Amino acid sequence: MTAFVQATLYGLLQGGLLALVAVGFSMVWGVMNVINVAQGAFVVLGAYIAFALNSTLGLDPLLGMFVAAAVLFLFGYAVQRGLINLVINAPIYLTLLLTFGLDLMLVQGMNIAFTADFRSIPTSWAGKSLALGDIRIPLGRLIAFGVAVAVTLLLVAMVTRTRTGLSIMATGMDRGAARLMGIRARHVYALTFGLAAALAGLAGAMVGTVGTFNPAAAAGYTLLSFVIAVLGGLGNMYGALVGGLVIGLVEAWAGQYLPGTWVNAFAFLVLILVLLFRPSGLVGRPFYASRVEV
Amino acid sequence: MGTSSADVSTPARVATTTARPRAEARWRRPLPWAAGALVVLACLGLQTQLYTGQERTVTTIFMFVALAQAWNIIGGFTGYASFGQVVFFGLGGYTTAVVMYHWQWNFWLALVVSGLLAAAFGALIGLPLLRLKGHYFAIATLGVAEGMREVVTNLPDLTGGGAGISIPTVGPGAPTAYLGNDGFYILFLLLAALAVLSAGLVSRSKFGLALRAINQDEAAAGSMGINTTLAKVAAFTLSGFLVGLVGASYAFQQVTIFPERLFDVDITVLMVVMVVIGGSGTVLGPLLGAVALQYLSEYLRQHYTNLHTFILGAIIIVAVILLPQGVVNYAREAARTRDFSLLRNVRRYRL
Repeated sequence: MTAFVQATLYGLLQGGLLALVAVGFSMVWGVMNVINVAQGAFVVLGAYIAFALNSTLGLDPLLGMFVAAAVLFLFGYAVQRGLINLVINAPIYLTLLLTFGLDLMLVQGMNIAFTADFRSIPTSWAGKSLALGDIRIPLGRLIAFGVAVAVTLLLVAMVTRTRTGLSIMATGMDRGAARLMGIRARHVYALTFGLAAALAGLAGAMVGTVGTFNPAAAAGYTLLSFVIAVLGGLGNMYGALVGGLVIGLVEAWAGQYLPGTWVNAFAFLVLILVLLFRPSGLVGRPFYASRVEV
Repeated sequence: MGTSSADVSTPARVATTTARPRAEARWRRPLPWAAGALVVLACLGLQTQLYTGQERTVTTIFMFVALAQAWNIIGGFTGYASFGQVVFFGLGGYTTAVVMYHWQWNFWLALVVSGLLAAAFGALIGLPLLRLKGHYFAIATLGVAEGMREVVTNLPDLTGGGAGISIPTVGPGAPTAYLGNDGFYILFLLLAALAVLSAGLVSRSKFGLALRAINQDEAAAGSMGINTTLAKVAAFTLSGFLVGLVGASYAFQQVTIFPERLFDVDITVLMVVMVVIGGSGTVLGPLLGAVALQYLSEYLRQHYTNLHTFILGAIIIVAVILLPQGVVNYAREAARTRDFSLLRNVRRYRL
């Protein structure tokens, strides 16, 4: 029983972090119908920025993550404004290929700049853990979970309550109408992509603090983002949170009770079944799955 | 093949053929077939002039021509961008490895069985998956490929698991002697020719028209009496068959295979990139795209080992921005409209 509770707790903490990894991916997909294959590279880049700040200036990743987010916001904004906006109306696989090219460049660039060695951001707090009877709560993961959930909720509040957020949602629902209402779609798209990149950077700093990373880890985070976004569904900002928690729990339980890496095969089976029987995701809105761009 | 299907295969063709006298269109029809046969002969002649290393490079180019052309049938003609086409590659490769290792089957029999098994798998997963559209289809196929890799990794008794499996190729235990560089050159040349021929036949047939109609407007195609499910599944199955054959040959060429390599997502992406850069939905485009990109990739690997993937990424970005519809489609349209401006081409899809 203790093992089960421990696995569940670990899964929930990991799930919150995964949600932060995927929330930007889900938003970019929902609003712009763009699949950002470079999402994983953004996450790892965020981790490296926090790592570099920590090793040169001794900055704690809890502060370094804001720098990582700011750098990635600017980078994401520029990429959307200068590159992706140019092919946004093309058949879907073109935007996918464009971000794939970006992913190749980022991953190889990081390989050259930081080598392929596994890194971790050292802190005084990440290794400690709280004891709750027989159950141990790793402090680093608890803080990362707190940051992830807080940031996701902040994003929801921003999108549903501010003018900027509403203009993002409006552009996602009907771009033509939004432009007629005076919304600058190019700017809003760039803003959305920048926000997504910034959140990926934040997530990366946390991922680098509680675990290890190297440039090759980028592909794994992209794939996880796919699964979480589809599972949670698009068009609802809580989708990534739900998807992330579900995946975190499933991985933790399967890791506890299934041999080998069957857990991965299982995750993809769940993904395909969700796609077939509920393509709009667990909490998504069907509209986003069938929408036609204007 | 219908008598006039080639003439109406694209809107561009309609414009040119109605403008020209019929007689000219008639002698132009067999021209691509003759050119294709000449190219195959030229490749056989080229073989005698190559060093071993160069021969291997050209063999890899043939392999990617076959793969890109196979993807073109489902992704280019039909418009269903599969991002898990590598599942057929891995399935074909592992079928060959398993039957040759465990039951000492002859390679040629294994090759055919691998292709058929891949085709059957394509029909099986195509039926449910082809109901999905756009990104959802892309991700579902990606999920199938990744999931299949995990299944293969977790069946070590049958597939050798993550440690890989080796096909016996030398000594009395070998069911079929290793083909050597020369043998594989010819094998992959034939596979590439088969794939291009299949795409050419599809392109000029009524079936190809049905696929193009589905690409443009599936609901309209259905209401015109096309059995869209059947056409889509057939295209997916044909593509899977071709990729399965290539995977089987690749496994035999490599001797030892691993799930990581045989189900590598990069192989799928390379197919897509080659088709898109060349011109999706054409027969010539994927052929040119595969030759150009694989040659370039090999050149970069030899001269800029460290920056190889970095430059490749930059090339993909530039190609997608400048020529989103592919070289062949751009050239055809430019020749028709006398508008060669790349800048105007960039404006086409921008926000």
